[in-house]
Amino acid sequence: MADRIVLTIGTKKGVFVAEAATPRRRFELRGPSGPGVPVYSTLIDTRGAARMYASSCDPFFGMKVLCSTNMGRSFTETKSAPAFPKNDGRTLTNIWSLEAGSGRKELWCGVEPASLFRSHDGGDSWHIVAGISNHEHARKWNPGNGGLCMHTIIRDGNRVHLGISTGGHYLSEDGGETFTASNQGVGAGFAPDPYPDFGQCVHKIARHDDAPGRLYMQNHGGWAEWSGPGGPRPDIGVLRSDDHGHTWRSIAKGLPSDFGFPIIVHPHSADTVYVVPLEPSTRSCPGGAPAVWRSENGGTSWRKLARGLPKKQSYFTILRDAMDIDRLAAPALYFGTTTGQLWIGREGGEQWDCLFDALPPIYAVKVAVV
Amino acid sequence: MPPAPSVTIHLPGPLRAYCGGAAQLSISARSVRGVLEDLERSQPALYRNLCDEAGVVRRHLNVFVNTDNVRDLEGTDTALASGDVLTFLPAVSGG
Repeated sequence: MADRIVLTIGTKKGVFVAEAATPRRRFELRGPSGPGVPVYSTLIDTRGAARMYASSCDPFFGMKVLCSTNMGRSFTETKSAPAFPKNDGRTLTNIWSLEAGSGRKELWCGVEPASLFRSHDGGDSWHIVAGISNHEHARKWNPGNGGLCMHTIIRDGNRVHLGISTGGHYLSEDGGETFTASNQGVGAGFAPDPYPDFGQCVHKIARHDDAPGRLYMQNHGGWAEWSGPGGPRPDIGVLRSDDHGHTWRSIAKGLPSDFGFPIIVHPHSADTVYVVPLEPSTRSCPGGAPAVWRSENGGTSWRKLARGLPKKQSYFTILRDAMDIDRLAAPALYFGTTTGQLWIGREGGEQWDCLFDALPPIYAVKVAVV
Repeated sequence: MPPAPSVTIHLPGPLRAYCGGAAQLSISARSVRGVLEDLERSQPALYRNLCDEAGVVRRHLNVFVNTDNVRDLEGTDTALASGDVLTFLPAVSGG
C-alpha cells in the first residue's frame, strides 16, 4: 500500500524534495540538488520504480535534465538534453515541461522557444517532434513576458494537447504526428483581433480521466477594461472545453479576476477545479489576500478557499506549474510562491498551512503518492 | 604550414566534471574557434557547456585569451600564439 507523499519543488536555486507519511503531519526536506540553477519543471514518474526528473536551466552552461532514482536524495544528469538540430537557427533557452509518455521510459519535453521533444530511453537521448516544432505557425509565435514556452503537454490516448505561451492550444489526434491550432473561443487581449486562430497566451490546461473530452484552461485574462481596437474582452481568462479542445467557453463568472496561472482538477471529481485569481498588474491575489478558488460544478460557480492563508499584505505570485494536488481520499493541494513559501491546503483546500517559508522563489511543484 | 601553437585552457570548477576533473587542458589550435572545434571532438560533454547547439559560445560565458576578453579582440577568430592561456568564466550575476 502506498504510504508516502513526495513533492518535487523546482526553484530558482535548484530542486528540493519534500516527503511525508500519509497523515502529512511533518514533511522532511531534501536538497537543493542542481544547486544554484533554476528548475522550471519536474516530473515524478511512477511507472515502475519511482523516478524524479528535473530540468536544470543553467544560464551559463545550458540546459540539463536531471534524474533521481532514490527519491531525490541525489540527482544525476541524463546523457543528453533536448537540443535543436545544428542548422535549425533556434537554440534551447529553457525547459518548461516534462511529462511521462507511453511504456516505461518514454518522456515528452516542452521547451523554449516553443518546441516539443521526445525521449524513448528515460532522457538519455532526445528527438524533436517536427509536427509542432516545425509547424507552419511556429515562426509566427511571439514570446510573452515569460518567454516563448511550451508549458503544457497532456496525453489522452491518441490525442495530445499542447499549451504554448504565446501560441495557444494545439491539438494532435494522431499521437503527436501532426497538430492543429484549436482555439475557437479562446480570447486574446493583446491583439486587435480578440479571437485569433492562434497566438493566444495560454497559461495552463488541465483535464481529468473521468471526463472524456473535457478540458479546463487558465488563459491570459484581465482584459475586461480594454478600450483599444477590438473592444473589451471580459472573462476570457478561465475556460472549459467539452469537445476535446475543439471549442472553448468561459467559466470565469464569479471569480474576482480571470487572470491567473495554474489550474488543476480534483483527482476524484472531474467537476472540481481550482484556480488562483490574480490581479493582472501585480500578479498577486486581489487585495494582497491570497486565496485559491474552487468550483465543484465544472465552473458554474466558485468558492473562495483562504482559511489559514494571510489575510493582507501578501503579494506573492503562484506560477503556472507551482500548484498540484495529491491523490489521497481527502486530497491536499500544494502551492509554492515566488517568495519561497510552500503551502499545503488540507481537505481539498479547506485549511491552509505553510510547510516551508524560506525556500528560493518557487517555479514548479509536483506531488505523488508512492 | 607550421604546426598549430600549443595553448593551455583553464576551466572553472563547475566545468571540470565534464572533462574528467581536469582543471586545465592543453590543445594545439590556431584560433579560439580552433580550440572550440577541437573540444567538440575531444571533449563533447565539456563542449556542450561552452557552446549551444548552433556552435555559438553561450551568452553568459566569457572567453579570455590571457587577460583579454575575446569580445574585445576578434571573437572566436582571435588568433592564438604558443603559450597563450584561454580561460572560460561565467559572467557575474546577481540574485
